[in-house]
Amino acid sequence: MASIEQAVDKLYKDHFGKMVGVLLYASRDIDPETAEDLVQDSFSAALTDWKSNGIPLNPAGWIYKVCRNKALNKIKKEKRTEGLNENTFQESVEIRFSESALDDQQLKLLFACAHPDLSPKVQVVITLKYVVNLKVDAIAGVLGMTVDGVDKLLLRARQKIRDEKILLEEPPPAALRPRLPIVHKIIYLIFNEGYKSFRGTEIIREELCEEALLLNKALMDAHLGNKHTAALHALMLFNSARFKSRFGLSGELLNLEEQDRSLWDKALIQLGNDFLHTSKGEEITSFHLEASIAFLHCRAHSFADTDWTTITQLYARLLKEHPNPFVELNYAIALFYSGQRLKAFQILHALERQPILNQYYLLNAALGKLHHLEGQDDLATQYLKKAHEQTGVAKERELIQKMILEIETGES
Amino acid sequence: MSLGHEAIYLVPALRILNYFITYITQFMTMEKFMLIIREDLKRIGALTDEERFSNMPEQMEWIKSIAESGNYVTGEPLEIRGRYVSKNEVLSDGPFIEAKEGIAGYDMIMAENIDQAVAIAQMCPLVMKGVAVIEVRPVSMLDTLS
Repeated sequence: MASIEQAVDKLYKDHFGKMVGVLLYASRDIDPETAEDLVQDSFSAALTDWKSNGIPLNPAGWIYKVCRNKALNKIKKEKRTEGLNENTFQESVEIRFSESALDDQQLKLLFACAHPDLSPKVQVVITLKYVVNLKVDAIAGVLGMTVDGVDKLLLRARQKIRDEKILLEEPPPAALRPRLPIVHKIIYLIFNEGYKSFRGTEIIREELCEEALLLNKALMDAHLGNKHTAALHALMLFNSARFKSRFGLSGELLNLEEQDRSLWDKALIQLGNDFLHTSKGEEITSFHLEASIAFLHCRAHSFADTDWTTITQLYARLLKEHPNPFVELNYAIALFYSGQRLKAFQILHALERQPILNQYYLLNAALGKLHHLEGQDDLATQYLKKAHEQTGVAKERELIQKMILEIETGES
Repeated sequence: MSLGHEAIYLVPALRILNYFITYITQFMTMEKFMLIIREDLKRIGALTDEERFSNMPEQMEWIKSIAESGNYVTGEPLEIRGRYVSKNEVLSDGPFIEAKEGIAGYDMIMAENIDQAVAIAQMCPLVMKGVAVIEVRPVSMLDTLS
């Protein structure tokens, strides 16, 4: 019994979003909500049927068939008078039953999720749901939201996807190109969520980063990408290369200085390099700049060996075009290590006076760290204690606690 | 190492590009909006700075998430005091001090369109909690010859 449930669970994870997509694509008479209900019903039917009759030879095909019949019945019921061309529908459904990692259908759904009226957060949530096939509780876990919150977002977003019929039915690429910058941003944000140090288990986060890379790769393979796609790919590869070294033996977070650089994945760095070269063109996006910063970190043999001067220039450029106080914090840190300490502290103290930024634990952690390096340990400890209070995340608290201890015992 | 070799080629290129003024496609299509945050000023006027600005982790998360997606530009809360100036007089307290929906702060954001700006504003924790309303206003731009 348990194995049947596991099998259905696995199928659900792999095929739920795809099947919803198939139904949406196959008929303009089905809206996302109905499609989800139909697919859900089909999985329940599978569970019941298989418990008495055993798992069929082609389980996925079985569910697809049931789902298709349910959809046909539903449409027939609603459109009795209009006379539905059943064959056309069946054909189109069957054509779409491809099993590739990311098919055209999913790519179209990805572009549908990049609806400009939706907030980036909602775009990410619906992409995770319909393209990446994550369940609601997994999405909630990985984005630090409640299940209820995710459900509410999905509810609001469905209407927009319903409006996307035209996009879903039109062939790429002409209709899709204008959406490309939003698609890039979605992929970037998914990667970011995976890369964040604290949410979910390490495995889930790594998978999320991989999903982002797969989506981006699929864009390029389908010739829907451009030079910006390559820059984004380079950025994600450079960061992936450093993924494992960010944690110590007992899973604790490590500062960049403490990371074992021999753990960095050289193959990924080399691949990132190739994409960074491909990405060169007339325009420089924030992806190009961020990828270049990540590259300079990857290239440095040690923390001290890092080309901080160029990094500060890249940050300055990034800030000029995309003002952002959080990036300013990184800029100040890079300035400090490049030797421009006075300017670094000026920026940090200006940020500190902003009520919102003042609440940000990383700002206070940085102030603590840099004051410590300046030999002002009392001040350093005050800032670190403030940072410690400001984060509720266990791993981050541990890291800051460790820094406070090191100062108090006079280490490092 | 091959990495070092690549870098020789790349870094000067980046320096040159630094001086290369180009526009950014992402911003070409995005518009700027001001989110005007309106709150009960009488209520927040009675709070100390500490009460007003501490315990705002959700607000912080909201700002951080719009900054991560490249939509955040800047923002500031306003003090609950000021002057009110018209042709004939300067009122020291202004009618806004007692306002139920007075301006308590602002955020500047970039968004694809007003619907997206609204969607972002809707997620503001102050709005979700019902203590603030947000006025979403596109920043005016002239169409000029280019």
